[in-house]
Amino acid sequence: MIITAILTALVSACLGWGRMPPGPLGLLSVGLGLLLGLLGRHEHGGALSIDALAQRSSLGGVNAVLKFWGSLALLLLCVLSASALPGLALALLMGVLTVRGGRVPLHDYLSLLALPAAFLLISALALLWSWGDSPAGVLNIPLFGGWLSVSPAAQARTALVICKALGAVSCLYLLSLSTPMAEIIAVLRRAHVPALAVELMYLIYRYIFILLDMHRTMHDAAQSRLGYDGFRLSVRTTGSIYANLLARSFKRAGACFDAMESRCYDGEIRFLEREKPVLPVHAAAAAGLLILTFGLSLLAF
Amino acid sequence: MAKKWTKNERRFVGVITVLSLFLAAAPAASAMHIMEGYLPAGQCAVWGVVCLPFLAAGLVGIRRTVKNQRKALILLAMSGAFIFVISSLKIPSVTGSCSHMTGTGLAAILFGPFQVSVLGIIVLLFQAILLAHGGITSLGANTFSMAIAGPIFAWALYMLCKKLKVNRKVSIFLAACLGDLFTYCVTSLQLAAAYPSEAGGFFASAVKFLGVFAPTQLPLAIIEGILTVVIIIGMETYAKPELRDIGFLEEVG
Repeated sequence: MIITAILTALVSACLGWGRMPPGPLGLLSVGLGLLLGLLGRHEHGGALSIDALAQRSSLGGVNAVLKFWGSLALLLLCVLSASALPGLALALLMGVLTVRGGRVPLHDYLSLLALPAAFLLISALALLWSWGDSPAGVLNIPLFGGWLSVSPAAQARTALVICKALGAVSCLYLLSLSTPMAEIIAVLRRAHVPALAVELMYLIYRYIFILLDMHRTMHDAAQSRLGYDGFRLSVRTTGSIYANLLARSFKRAGACFDAMESRCYDGEIRFLEREKPVLPVHAAAAAGLLILTFGLSLLAF
Repeated sequence: MAKKWTKNERRFVGVITVLSLFLAAAPAASAMHIMEGYLPAGQCAVWGVVCLPFLAAGLVGIRRTVKNQRKALILLAMSGAFIFVISSLKIPSVTGSCSHMTGTGLAAILFGPFQVSVLGIIVLLFQAILLAHGGITSLGANTFSMAIAGPIFAWALYMLCKKLKVNRKVSIFLAACLGDLFTYCVTSLQLAAAYPSEAGGFFASAVKFLGVFAPTQLPLAIIEGILTVVIIIGMETYAKPELRDIGFLEEVG
């Protein structure tokens, strides 16, 4: 992941230019780049590593309704706030809560955090640089008879956006790394999301695993027959595997429907949900977090 | 003719080349999902509201289909799972970077744009929670660009090509590839609307976002187009009955 490292170093150098002496800034940028480059090992091992981690989380016993609406409220506070403070605080707190409280391995958590890095870094470049008639910024490159420059205002805005995004992603991870999908869907059903959509969600979630399984078999079969030898062949193989996957999934759907119909399926699937009462500790923790974040976002004004 | 380049021109071409090489090889893990917390709250709400009529139309359509034929629900669910699965898998790429198909064009061609809107928002929610692509606050904006605007464009283009009797493979390729590019343009415009640049405003910002994402999105769109052609031709050769089930082959017979 050399590219992620270089991009990170580039963006952090642009962010800090003119605010820090070049020496330490250079060191900091290179350090950050190396850190993210090492962490950002984009593993595709289990296609659904988040799902596996959520099933194993120690926070699995916490009431799902509380987790869902709590994380969503924190997320909203983070997005609504005008300062970077709530974002940074949430990134830290949610990280500690997920890693210590939920016992998600630290390395897994950090490499998940590096996932949205591509989007964040590339769009940060667009936010930082702008083209104008005069070299108005702290960092200027002549271009087209004008100047491509980084202004202090753009630096501040980009830093704010990055902090808020980090905080928001941490809130999302607290939810997704501690709550299995089935429980989230149950919360949505209680929130009166249309029954048809809830039904579709349950079925889609189930079928994802069937399809991933089918795909793995076909992929291994193709690979053992040199199906991915060279770019042209890879594209061809991938395309035929996807076509076959879709065709087989439709055949499978027929079988599934027959099986469900023979078990009295009448358009509604209900699952037995284990009751997880809201413990006072959990409620207090959620309330504390909300008050803290709210307070921090008020501090900005 | 062969005038010497000025220093600035050379520097410009150099910078752009280096930059595009970087970005083209960047880990483009579906770089066009707007990430969680990236949009201001107002924009999130606006895009969510914009999506509602399309979703309502989609739900009503699906409900009607399901009432007539209950098996359709299972087929739709399988299709949704299929879109999710192909968007989570790596596809071959020239630069060795990690890219994923979006499935927008494929789904629109197979199922029509309105059903795709409902499937799309579910798939995007799953992607946000299970794959950390996109997010809950940016769900509305992502749904609009990837599950509404892109599919409608791809589908309209496909229908237009069919009317004009363009070669089938070419029309599938065009619909998928340009549908992808259209999605990327819409997303760039959404980002520009959220963060207009101080100097040039909305348009300058749009050009910037289009520019930085172009190196990752252009090759992706072409590969997506080729893959979609291979997939649909493959389906037509060995899954005719299933295609008839979802109403794709009606007119072909």
